[in-house]
Formats: sequence, C-alpha cells, structure tokens
Amino acid sequence: MKNFSNRYIFLYVSGLVLLIAVTLTLVSLGLKPRREANVEREKMRQILKAAGYESNKDEVPNLSALEFQELAPEHYSIRCADGSLGEVVRVQGKGLWGPIWGYVALSSDRTTIKGVAFSHKSETPGLGAKITDDTFAKQFAGKKLYDADGLFVSVRVTPKGKEGQLSKENRVDAISGATITSRGVDKMLYDGLKEK
Amino acid sequence: MSLKKYLGPLSSDNPILVQTLGVCSALAVTAQLKPALVMALSVTVVCAFSNLIISLIRNTIPPRIRIIVQLLIVSFWVILVDQVLQAYVYEISKLLSVFVGLIITNCIIMGRLEAFALSHKPWPSFMDGLMNGLGYGLVLIVVAFFRELLGSGTLWNIPVVPHAWYEAGYLNNGLMILPPMALILVGTIIWIKNSKTRRAK
Amino acid sequence: MREIVDIFVRSVFIDNMVFAYFLGMCSYLAVSKNVKTAAGLGFAVCFVLAVTVPINYLIDKYLLQPGALSWLGRGFANVDLSYLSLVVFIAVIAGIVQLLEMVMERHLPALYAALGIFLPLIAVNCAILGGSLFMQERNFPTVIHSFSYAIGSGIGWLLAIVAFAAIRERLKYSKIPEPLQGNGIAYIITGLLGMGFMAFLGI
Repeated sequence: MKNFSNRYIFLYVSGLVLLIAVTLTLVSLGLKPRREANVEREKMRQILKAAGYESNKDEVPNLSALEFQELAPEHYSIRCADGSLGEVVRVQGKGLWGPIWGYVALSSDRTTIKGVAFSHKSETPGLGAKITDDTFAKQFAGKKLYDADGLFVSVRVTPKGKEGQLSKENRVDAISGATITSRGVDKMLYDGLKEK
Repeated sequence: MSLKKYLGPLSSDNPILVQTLGVCSALAVTAQLKPALVMALSVTVVCAFSNLIISLIRNTIPPRIRIIVQLLIVSFWVILVDQVLQAYVYEISKLLSVFVGLIITNCIIMGRLEAFALSHKPWPSFMDGLMNGLGYGLVLIVVAFFRELLGSGTLWNIPVVPHAWYEAGYLNNGLMILPPMALILVGTIIWIKNSKTRRAK
Repeated sequence: MREIVDIFVRSVFIDNMVFAYFLGMCSYLAVSKNVKTAAGLGFAVCFVLAVTVPINYLIDKYLLQPGALSWLGRGFANVDLSYLSLVVFIAVIAGIVQLLEMVMERHLPALYAALGIFLPLIAVNCAILGGSLFMQERNFPTVIHSFSYAIGSGIGWLLAIVAFAAIRERLKYSKIPEPLQGNGIAYIITGLLGMGFMAFLGI
C-alpha cells in the first residue's frame, strides 16, 4: 500500500469536493427551468381538480376557454366543471410533520364549496397522507361555509360521532388515526376562508 | 469474460435476500409498483456508476480517507439522479421524497465499493454494480407487485381486480399498504427461495 | 411546548425509524444477536442523532435553504443551495462521528469502551442520514423541535433493536422450519413487531 502525505490527502479531498460542487451546480442550473415548469403544472392541475375537472396528466387544458383569470395572487376565477363561474383560492396550514396546502373552489357568492384539492409535504403515508385521496376530498363538494343563521362557521373537519352542534352542511368526517393532520385541515380552511 | 460470472446477485447471491444489505430505505417505497421501479432503476444507476468511478480512481485514493471519498462519489451520483427525477418524473420524485437521498447510505452501494470496486478494474466493477443494483431492484419489484395487487387491487395504478369481485364481497387488504407487510413479504420470499435452493442441492 | 412533547412521542412510537421507514435496517439485522451489544449500538445511534440533527438543522437553515443566505446581504437572498444538502449532511455526519470518536477516546474512556466500536458503523447507518433528511423535509420551526425529534427517533431505534435482540435470543431455542432460519424469520419478526407498534397510532 502506498503512503500518502497529508498535503496530498488535503489537496485530493479539496479537489474532489470542488469538482463535485461545480458539476452539480451546473446540472442544477441546467434543469431548473424544467423543475419550475413541473411545479407550475402541478399547481394548475390542483386548481383544475378543485374546480371539478378530471385530472389528465399529459393534456394541458385550454385555460382561456375556461375563462381562467388571476384576480389576485393565488386567487383565481374559473368556469367550473358544472358550468357555473367560480373562484379558486389557495389555503395553507400545518399538518403533523410539515406544511399542508390546497386549493378550494367556491361558488361565485362565496358561500358554497364546489371542490377541493389538498396536498402535503410529508404526512404519514396511509394516514395523514389520505387528505389527498378523492374519498376525503369529495366530501367537501356542496358544503356550506355559513350556518342557518348566516354566521361564518367554515367547513369543520370533525371525527365521526363528534358532530356537536354542527349541521351536516358544515362538516365532513376527519380521517381516523390522523387526528393532527385532520385538525390541521380544519384550521387551514377556517383561517383561509374566513376573510374571503 | 462471460456474462454468467456477473449473474450471481440476481439469484443465488442476491444482496437483499442473502447478504441482507440495503434493506434500509427502499422497502418503504414498495407500496406501489411505479415508485418501486423508479427506485430500483435509481439504485442501479448509482451503484453501477459509483463503482465505475471508484474503480477508475482506486489507485489515487489515500486509504485513510477512502470512506469519505466513497461517500462523496456516491452522494454526487445520488444528487444527480435526484435532480433528473425532479425534472423529468416530478410526480414520482414527490412520492420517493427523502428516500432518493437515502440511497447514499444504502449498504449495498457502500458494500460493493469496499468489497469490489476498490480492488478490481473498471469494467468488471461497472458490471458488478449493475448486477447488484438489478438484483436489489428485482426484490423491490416483486414486493411492490404483491403489495399493490393485494393492497390496492391495482397494478401500475390500473385496476386489475374485476369490479364484480368487489360486489361479491372482496376487499382490498389494507394491511398490505402498511410498512410491516413489506418486511413479512421479504421474509416469505427468503423462505421460498431457501427451500428451493435446498431442494436443488 | 406541547408540540415538542408531541413530536417526541410520535417519533418514538408512531413514526418509528425502523418500523415505519425501515431506516438503519442493515445494522439492525446485523447487530441484534444479543441484547447487550444491541443496546450499545442503540445508545450510540441515539447519541449521534442527537448531535448531528440539530447541527444539520442549523446548517440547513442558515446556509442551504432557499433564501437562507439572506443574512449575508440582499444579493444573497435568492441563492438556493438545497441541492447540495445531501453532500453537506453526509460530510457533517462523517466528520462528527470521527470527532466524537477522538474526543471520547481521550476524555471519556469508559464511554468509548462501551460505544467506541459502534461509531464507525454509524457513519453509514441510514437512520442517521435519514434523521437529518426527515428533519429537513419536516421544516421544524426551531432547533429545539429538531432536537426533540432527534432524541425521539434515537430512542425509538434503541427500543426497536433491544426488543428485537431480546426476541432473537429466545429464538435460538425454538424450532423454526429450516429454510426460514436466519434472515427469513428475522424479517418476519420485525414485521410483526412493527404491527405491534402500529397499535400506538391512536395516541
């Protein structure tokens, strides 16, 4: 086995690190536009899903035909799948492990939810991650944000059997076993839809 | 140099089943076939090319810092793969999340670097890495196949269990999606494989 | 405060490194033949996690994240170095393990005698890098959260390996079908243990 001087070892590692860092930076910069386009496309798909359109991975829908308009940052107007004009707003909050967010499609008078599409970064698979499932999201369609007296109550996410005073139109079932994520969705909707 | 020499890792010398290496991170991505396949390919690429590079520079690496050099080379390939996944198969890269990064500490890769690449010529090292990666991927895919089929009734996200079965009372086995079943499946595969090899003897 | 305790409990029982994410399986299977060595490795993992995760947290927060360099001045606010985080994390881990080994050898010979042999194994243990990567993904608000997560994960790992080693010691005396002996039964037991741990989901 050869002997290597400390100087050689030091130079060797520095050279290697430099080479790796430079190559990776180049690759990262080169692929950046593609990555950003992906993120953008993902966002559009979520908005469309909230508005009730079946997601189709390859097809980019014709946005002008849907009268898609950005009213304010993260606040859009779009013709929904049921034919009426609606608004889509972004909501964000905290799940158990990290950020959760989603898009909520509202009727044009902002009282009824038409559909939702949630996303999360790192919820537990099979539990909290279920907020992205259709079975959870479909519950929201047609729910009302105001109670019979016209007060804002949002759509609450509560465990089955713990409905309290809430009427059927103001609540959905939480995901069993994922209390904190469900609570996160609950709070996210309340905070996000309150002033809208 | 025959190809046969390199085929060991695919069956009789499989890294997961026989050497118990590299179970670490990747079983967590076997709930569905698609991410498992991408994971298998990523590991194969990283393993083959890290082996190649280490073998090319094996005579210049000071032995005292060889672990660090190996880690650097492996993490270089892993980041490269991660970036490419994020750019071209964004959906799946989201599913794999941190597990792509964990390829770095996948013991198969470090194990092959230590045991093979440091003492062999580039081409055999490349083949060795490739075959070990594939042998590893094979197990991932088999496990993912059963987990997705029994757990969600789909394969490659396409429903394969006929609708009539569900009406007749068939239910997906939710347990299959949960992590412990992956381990039990691997245990069962080892069992089947061992009883086969024993019979062959 | 409640959040911190919550993270701790969750990472010990529910998002257990071994049972939920299969992290550190290699050493878990290799060093679980008897309870004493298993506990030794478990403590070493705990220790290294508790040191490396907070350090990597700070590095991530002030050097790597998008916008993390803004303390250097306006011009740096858009720099995103997060693609380098893997290399940096693994280098930090390898470096710290080396450092710990040297410090322990000189100042804490008793501890070194107990944990020393495990330290080199740990640099390539997926649980350690996994700890840092999950920490990065989960975006903990403060360094204390990340510390609580690190300790919790470490204890979870320790618990898993000790429980497994204890079962394995008993296993020597039981009759297992020959093809299932060794690794086969080890995987299946881990799976069953994992199912047991899933009972904690309700907490």
